[in-house]
Amino acid sequence: MAQESILEIKDLEVKFYTYAGVVEALDGVNLSIRRGEILGLVGETGSGKSVTSLSVMMLVPPPGKIENGGIYFRSKGKTQNIMSLNDASLRDIRGKDISMIFQEPRAYLNPVYSVKDQISEVMLVHRKQEFLQKAIEALQKKGRGKSFEASVYRRVLKTENSVATGSASRFSRNRLLAWMTRIGQRIGTNFMSKFTRKKTLKSEITKEVVRVLKDVEISDPDRVAIMYPHELSGGMAQRVIIAMALACNPTMLIADEPTTNLDVTVQAQILNLIKLLKKDYNSSILYITHDLGVVAQTCDRVAVMYAGNVVETAEVVETYKSPLHPYTRALLESIPSPGKEFKSIPGIVPGLINPPTGCRFHERCNYAKEICLTSKPVFREVKKDHFVACYLYGGSN
Amino acid sequence: MSYMLELVNLKKHFPIFGGVLKRRVAAVKAVDGVSIKVNRGECFGLVGESGCGKTTLGKTILRLYKPDAGKIFFDVPKDVTEEIAALEKENLKSRRLRRLREQYDLATYRGRELQLLRRKMQIVYQDPTTSLDPRMFVKDIIAEPLVAQGIARGEEAKKMVAEILERVGLTSGHLYRFPHEFSGGQRQRIAVARALVSRPEFVILDEPTSAVDVSVRAQLLNLFTDLQRDFNLTFMFISHDLSIVECISHRVAIMYLGKIVEYSPTEEIFHRPLHPYSQALIASVPVPDPTKRKERAPLTGEVPSPVNPPMGCRFHPRCPLAMDVCKQKEPELMDVGNGHFVACFAVSSQTHYAG
Amino acid sequence: MSERSRFDEFKAGMRPRLKEWRFMLKRMRESRLALAGIIIVLIFVGIAVFAPLLAPPHGDPFSVPQDMEILVIQTSPTPPSTRHIFGTTDQQYDLYYACIWGSITAFRTGLTVVAFSLIVGLTIGTLAAMYGGLLDEALMRFTDIIIAFPGLILAMALVIALPGIFAINLSLVFLLVLVVASFLLLIFHFDKKILLIVQLLLLLSLLSILFFPVQMNLSLTRLDKVLLSIALVGWPGYTRVIRGEVMRVKNEDFVEAARASGSSDFRIIVKHIWPNTIYPILIVATLDIGSIVLTAAAMSFIGLGADPNFADWGQIIQRARNWISNVDLIVANLHAFLIPGIFITFFVMGWNLLGDALRDVLDPMLRRR
Repeated sequence: MAQESILEIKDLEVKFYTYAGVVEALDGVNLSIRRGEILGLVGETGSGKSVTSLSVMMLVPPPGKIENGGIYFRSKGKTQNIMSLNDASLRDIRGKDISMIFQEPRAYLNPVYSVKDQISEVMLVHRKQEFLQKAIEALQKKGRGKSFEASVYRRVLKTENSVATGSASRFSRNRLLAWMTRIGQRIGTNFMSKFTRKKTLKSEITKEVVRVLKDVEISDPDRVAIMYPHELSGGMAQRVIIAMALACNPTMLIADEPTTNLDVTVQAQILNLIKLLKKDYNSSILYITHDLGVVAQTCDRVAVMYAGNVVETAEVVETYKSPLHPYTRALLESIPSPGKEFKSIPGIVPGLINPPTGCRFHERCNYAKEICLTSKPVFREVKKDHFVACYLYGGSN
Repeated sequence: MSYMLELVNLKKHFPIFGGVLKRRVAAVKAVDGVSIKVNRGECFGLVGESGCGKTTLGKTILRLYKPDAGKIFFDVPKDVTEEIAALEKENLKSRRLRRLREQYDLATYRGRELQLLRRKMQIVYQDPTTSLDPRMFVKDIIAEPLVAQGIARGEEAKKMVAEILERVGLTSGHLYRFPHEFSGGQRQRIAVARALVSRPEFVILDEPTSAVDVSVRAQLLNLFTDLQRDFNLTFMFISHDLSIVECISHRVAIMYLGKIVEYSPTEEIFHRPLHPYSQALIASVPVPDPTKRKERAPLTGEVPSPVNPPMGCRFHPRCPLAMDVCKQKEPELMDVGNGHFVACFAVSSQTHYAG
Repeated sequence: MSERSRFDEFKAGMRPRLKEWRFMLKRMRESRLALAGIIIVLIFVGIAVFAPLLAPPHGDPFSVPQDMEILVIQTSPTPPSTRHIFGTTDQQYDLYYACIWGSITAFRTGLTVVAFSLIVGLTIGTLAAMYGGLLDEALMRFTDIIIAFPGLILAMALVIALPGIFAINLSLVFLLVLVVASFLLLIFHFDKKILLIVQLLLLLSLLSILFFPVQMNLSLTRLDKVLLSIALVGWPGYTRVIRGEVMRVKNEDFVEAARASGSSDFRIIVKHIWPNTIYPILIVATLDIGSIVLTAAAMSFIGLGADPNFADWGQIIQRARNWISNVDLIVANLHAFLIPGIFITFFVMGWNLLGDALRDVLDPMLRRR
């Protein structure tokens, strides 16, 4: 392996226990994402791509349950099985090491909070210590010097520190604040708030929010930061969501059809942005989509899913040039092209309550053999760095 | 001799009411002066992004909205439309003009005349999940146009429904089921069956393949071409997906903020797009070929709101070729040869007129 | 041949609906509370249906018999005995008879009031939601006025204010019908010929009022007044819910598709909008039956209810009002108010559980669709 993989999903099985029956959504998914790459996850409705991405974050909603398999995440040198983590560790990972963005950006923004509040919430959850440290340093800097203001800064800092360490009571802090209020009434009302740690913390975070908004190519970040979600257009909202996802420098970003609802010109902008961010932040991106054009333009490697299995994974040029799995071939051939007749895949995607036996594609496959009906092919490396699950390439044992 | 459909300066604005007294403060100018001619038997593609008004245009043609200005001529002989145009120029109050308009101009129809129209013009919606009544049987959904318009009922209606079902590739076993028991592609077929059961001449397809899987799209596109051939239908194919429009349409029009900026035969417009917006739009489409990658996004900024479109040419704030005149005057559609029309000052200053 | 195929058609058409119903029943069987609700309601239905057998009437079935023999000795309630299974209440009215026939009255109360509210609510709510604008504003403001009053108090005021005998001029009725009809014509395709006919009829009816003052007398019993006032106070709730639902469905694609298919507004309302909106309202209605019966009983208890010897649970409890002033009396006459009280409690509880069960069942159905 040339690059190390930061996420490996092995034989993941997910079932949904609905009152209509047991939906076998994922049936042994094998996926690996390498550092700094964009992996495209392609599939149609019912292929299980969204469920896969939710499983990585352990966000599969009930009645879904992860039945089997392992999800191994490597970050900061150590590998952990996400499925074995407790709630606290999971919360630690979500948003900080792995973030996720979704299809309809405005559905994932709280309509009563401004953009700034929402991005700072993410930052406060994961990077609070860091910002607190910065705030204290900033206050300390302001506390140097001989001026009256500086001495006030020092006094406030000392009191707050002692309250934080518990060596002084809240009572003394309140006394101090009362004294400052009296002074404030004489000088000016904004006097007091400037000195508290909380306010400085807020201003530090705001600076960072503006920086992140600028990173996602929003041209007027100060103005956008105080806007509310309903005032944002689709493309802008999606950029805000991306900013939220990147606020804590995650190792991996999962993007579930982020541009499907956007206009094609805005989509081009966002795709370019994603490629740029991959370079700047060096995060790996799992890009889920059904649009083969987007995959061709954006992704480094691509994994094709069908009815709950990954059927083929390879580098993107290799996949488009020589697709191995019959489904991938049929999918590429069904892309409409002027002058060519329209080719579709006969049949429909199977229901997953009683899925087909053996290889789930066998009912629609032109090359189906007897063995395809009875047993499922193993997902293995057939060419260099090109993985397929198909009996056409041997493996019938 | 007549065009299947002719639109003359069609406008549809949606008023916005605000303030305490709920007065009309502004209007969303969804369709703001569209004039096109659609020939019989062709597939006319209408392309644009969200907010450009293409869906509104389709629904206005069908009289699901009442137009605020302009004329709609459906299968009207050319001499009549020319007479109306001539009468307009000389005397707006002429009685003959008014009578002609009441007879031929769809925009003036009301009540019973509108209902007769429904027989000839139909629509297939984008989302088959919401466009089919979830509590009706498929057979009732498809039979509805027949019953509602009084064309047929009972046994005869059932026969017609069975006929059309076969044509769209469904079976009679599907009749007594609810829409939610079908896949997306099959639901869209049901919608197509409903649109065609009254044997219309003109069908508006409003993004019929957008809500459907990639592998099923080809099936639907084949269905459309077959049906067009068999029933001699005229389609208006509305979509934001340029690659599909390129494959199925004979002519294509590109809309931006309520106006048509360019239209021409398909091959011509995709090989030689002249309007800067058309060029950017076509260049933005992700090509499914990983060896051909683009570095920069072709167009910056976002589509402005149709409530307050920019002055002059609506595209000028984002246009790389914007000149002074673009900020002040709106360009008209001009013929540049080969049936290719563009509305752009930059283009017209460089190109010769046809002839 | 065509007869058989028509029957096959019918079977084929019913099969999916039967499947849905069977699914619904299965879900209801699974919830124990739902089962309890159904059983309770069914028990009361049984009591109501077999009332003539359980408590054979003499003369007017809704007149509770008084035990004349004991009445000459005492008027106070007698506890349950072999003579009277549940005992008697003040003025020796037989509790057993009152409770049995009272269940018929309870059903009548609940169902007629709900039916009235539903009809009015559907009409006004649908019209307001479909046509919006000034009509919507006017109807909704009128509804708001009714809602502004505390329900029970307004109902009481209405009961007192409603006259026992109504005199109606038939032509006025005709006029009202015409107004409604012209409303409905707005819904059909607007056609000049029909408008002319309507205008002619309106003129005719106006003339007939002048020349043929035909009167008709309607009398209302006290129970009728109670039902009418509760209904008049209750319909705004339904109207608002229905209006909200219709407004939601009105903008769905399939309604516009129906319009594109040439359906008239009337057809759209009846075949598309109502089937998609009434289910939540039916649940509200079921839950409401219980509270309506409770309200009627409360009004009877105050004294505004049915006639003194009418077989109605609330009325029977009202009889016990004089006998609960101190603890000894309460203990002695427990049966007089407890037994009818138990009947009321179980009746209301049964309907509430049924409504809850329906809601639980219909929710996944709605989601499934």
